[in-house]
Amino acid sequence: MTRYLGDDFLLPNLTPRNTPFFTAGSVQIQACEDCGHAQHPPDDLCYACQGTQLAFRGMPGTGRVESAVVVHHPLHPALVERGPYVVAIISVDGAPGCNVTGNVVGCAPETVEIGARVRAVFEEVEDPRSGESLKIPQWELASD
Amino acid sequence: MHGEAVVVGVGESVYYKHGGSPDSEFQLACTAIRNAAQDAGLELSQLDGLVSYMDTRNSPLRIAAALGFDELRWSATPWAGGGNNSSATLQFADAAVSGGYANYVVGFRALAQGQFHRLGSGAGLMAGSAPEGLAWGMPYGLLSPAQECALHTKRWMHDHGVSQEALAAISLACYANAQRNPRAVRYGRPLTREDYHASRWIVEPFHLFDCCQENDGAAALIVTTPERARDLPGKAVPILATAQGLGPDIGAMAFQQRFFPGMYYENVGRMIWERAGVRPSDIDVLQLYENFTGPVVMALCEMGYCKPEEVDAFVADGALEGPDARLPFNTSGGNLAEAYIHGLEMVVEAVRQSRGDSTCQVEAVDLSLAVGGPGYAPGSAVLFGPAY
Repeated sequence: MTRYLGDDFLLPNLTPRNTPFFTAGSVQIQACEDCGHAQHPPDDLCYACQGTQLAFRGMPGTGRVESAVVVHHPLHPALVERGPYVVAIISVDGAPGCNVTGNVVGCAPETVEIGARVRAVFEEVEDPRSGESLKIPQWELASD
Repeated sequence: MHGEAVVVGVGESVYYKHGGSPDSEFQLACTAIRNAAQDAGLELSQLDGLVSYMDTRNSPLRIAAALGFDELRWSATPWAGGGNNSSATLQFADAAVSGGYANYVVGFRALAQGQFHRLGSGAGLMAGSAPEGLAWGMPYGLLSPAQECALHTKRWMHDHGVSQEALAAISLACYANAQRNPRAVRYGRPLTREDYHASRWIVEPFHLFDCCQENDGAAALIVTTPERARDLPGKAVPILATAQGLGPDIGAMAFQQRFFPGMYYENVGRMIWERAGVRPSDIDVLQLYENFTGPVVMALCEMGYCKPEEVDAFVADGALEGPDARLPFNTSGGNLAEAYIHGLEMVVEAVRQSRGDSTCQVEAVDLSLAVGGPGYAPGSAVLFGPAY
């Protein structure tokens, strides 16, 4: 199995605004070419200066756990057998104000604490419907 | 204060467990509206406005035709979210009658989750892959409002040292109050603190009993002007103030740092207090929408009832239970224990408190407040004065 929630679990539909995030193999955050403002999720306009020259920038791939909860009740058939899992909100180093959602993989769900340092890892998966190659950002606990 | 619009009728269907209604959702909506019209002493043909929220299934055009309105002069729905807009429904009705656009405007909400999917199941979203707006969370198993609100609540409890007992107090108050209310789906099903803590985790820190029910049913209220109310047989309950809105940055997405963790109710509180010229301590009875208990304690603090560090003491020792509580709260049992009609049943209860009709009636109610669902924006609130 290559994915935290199982290889049959939901995949994102790729769009121009989310393709960099889910395919680049690095943590991609949208930034304004005019004023430098970083924002997530991406949109068609800079929320700081209303500029339309927006580009994706690769971040260092580290971050901090802002919140983390253990999910017990399975809401998707693919999760019934899996058992409890952790969903976290991660603040992304290099992109002030930007939080992303992810799982913290490679550890017991209840061991993920607020304030923990994490680094990005990527789940490489091919979407069987579209044939697209995805590299879904995930996070693991960092020792530093 | 405002007071240029009044509630003259309330109605509801029987409230059922989810999937339990023998009637269709449209039939439930029409039943609640007919009961509200009867309560007000109005003919259905006199109704001429319809307002709802998160409702695309029960069109005002279809309702006006089915119920025989002479004409439909106002139909509206607030944008975005869910039960956060329950109290906004009264604001839109108030605006319509105060502006002279319609005479008798109905606010309603109906749901039949046997006929349609359960709201909290995400069933409508998960029939395939994650569309763009949800793709940021769904591939990670972030699938439900409970999980989103848990992420906020967990961090907020961590930052302010709030205990699980604060969440328990909300649930216990709702269940205790529901034991006085024969309409409540959880009537006859009291909850103990031991039951609460023993119930299974849905998503930490929410146990099963931190989460609202899922129900079938409908509720409706009728709003008109004080002048028209004089010709009606029943009591009129004045709308003293309403609020609906959101602060900066909130509209885009939850979890961005400027408002994380947060329930987005600071501005709703500020608007309602300023518009009415009152303070939280002036409120005689409060209905505060519980999708989950965590958002309730967060919204209490954001609206100015107490500081986060004080909330454990603020809700402790039965402070919210019964008609003689320090803060009479969710007196019908609320979404947790009466029924989850996406909060409109709590607006009905706020009106009942002003009229003196509650099954958990507070003495001498001058100010009765109903607050829409925290956790999603825009938030809303409506403040009622004493019936006359």
